Amino acid sequence: MFISISIPLADETRVRPYTIASSPEDGDLFEIVFNRVPGGAGVAWLFERKAGDEINFTGPFGAFTLERAPERELVFIAEGTAIAPIRPMLRRVFEQKPGHPVRLLYAADRVEHLLFRGEIEGHAIAHPQFQFETIIADGGQEALYARIMAEVERRWVVTDNDRMRHFYVCGIGAGVLRIRDLLRGAGYERRAVRYEQW
Amino acid sequence: MARIRILFESGEPEQIVEFNPADAPFQHDGQPGSILDVLLGHRIHLEHACGGNCACTTCHVIVKQGHDKLSEASEQEEDLLDRAPGLTPTSRLGCQAVVEDAGAEIVILVPRYTINQVSESRGE
Ligand SMILES: Cc1cc2nc3c(=O)[nH]c(=O)nc-3n(C[C@H](O)[C@H](O)[C@H](O)COP(=O)(O)OP(=O)(O)OC[C@H]3O[C@@H](n4cnc5c(N)ncnc54)[C@H](O)[C@@H]3O)c2cc1C
Ligand code: FES
Repeated sequence: MFISISIPLADETRVRPYTIASSPEDGDLFEIVFNRVPGGAGVAWLFERKAGDEINFTGPFGAFTLERAPERELVFIAEGTAIAPIRPMLRRVFEQKPGHPVRLLYAADRVEHLLFRGEIEGHAIAHPQFQFETIIADGGQEALYARIMAEVERRWVVTDNDRMRHFYVCGIGAGVLRIRDLLRGAGYERRAVRYEQW
Repeated sequence: MARIRILFESGEPEQIVEFNPADAPFQHDGQPGSILDVLLGHRIHLEHACGGNCACTTCHVIVKQGHDKLSEASEQEEDLLDRAPGLTPTSRLGCQAVVEDAGAEIVILVPRYTINQVSESRGE
């Protein structure tokens, strides 16, 4: 789920979505994480806010949610800040004590850009059915997505004929749609391949 | 010139915009030339909680006329529409449906619940 922040710039008011990276159980305060996008005037405004400043927002909104863990192997694929919606999903899944494997493939251009790493590694220690793997690929978005695509194909397309897995994919740009097409094209159910493109 | 007539289920008075699709984009959110782009560019409000990124359904509109004058829905739009409350056979996401025909006469209805969904949760 995300909130929709109204960003007052000099010549316009911009509406921009930011994902709630915390869980409802955390109470009234919630967390968002944001990335400084080159040339991004909206997010630049957010970076200028100080503690105590007020922000106008509406929400929550969004269709990229996981209420119940499916009775199937569950695969999360994320990149950079787009781990934000996956973080509360992971927590929810582990609360429900899943009986099937849970995997996260998390990519970034640099190790420091893997967010919530300690927490995610904590899940891996606490839940033996959880497998956490990272990809580091610098060289731009194209290179990053080429790596993710190759890993996805190797693990979940060519290795076996199991097409019962459920996928949740979140990332930035058209690469997300290429991953969707790869998985659906390989025979996974449309509804079992969920994604959000930023 | 293309024309969009906008009806509001909330009872607000209807609005009409005339525009040349070749002049798109009219602002920067949503697909260039989309219903959202045209409306925002002509100072008509349409909710767009995700900034026109095809990631919510708050820009849902029901096309009453001229459905075939709009770009075809992408798989991503269809995936989201699946989750839109009050889905109809001529539902579209305003940020994705592009007016392609320079002589198009389009009539859309902005459903009420979309507006309610937003104002009820307004965190201001
Ligand atoms: C459903 C949804 C949830 C989102 N949640 C978050 C969030 O939790 N944190 C966050 O930082 N952003 C998030 N975004 C992106 C955010 O809304 C803005 O697009 C981003 O902050 C840039 O806005 P801008 O107006 O500054 O720049 P614009 O001029 O609008 O630039 C947009 C460009 O930046 C790219 N971009 C968007 N987000 C990122 C990012 N995080 N890293 C690198 N490039 C990016 C876009 O692909 C696009 O090319 C989300 C987007 C969507 C659709
Ligand atoms: S504005 Fe969110 S899908 Fe159109």
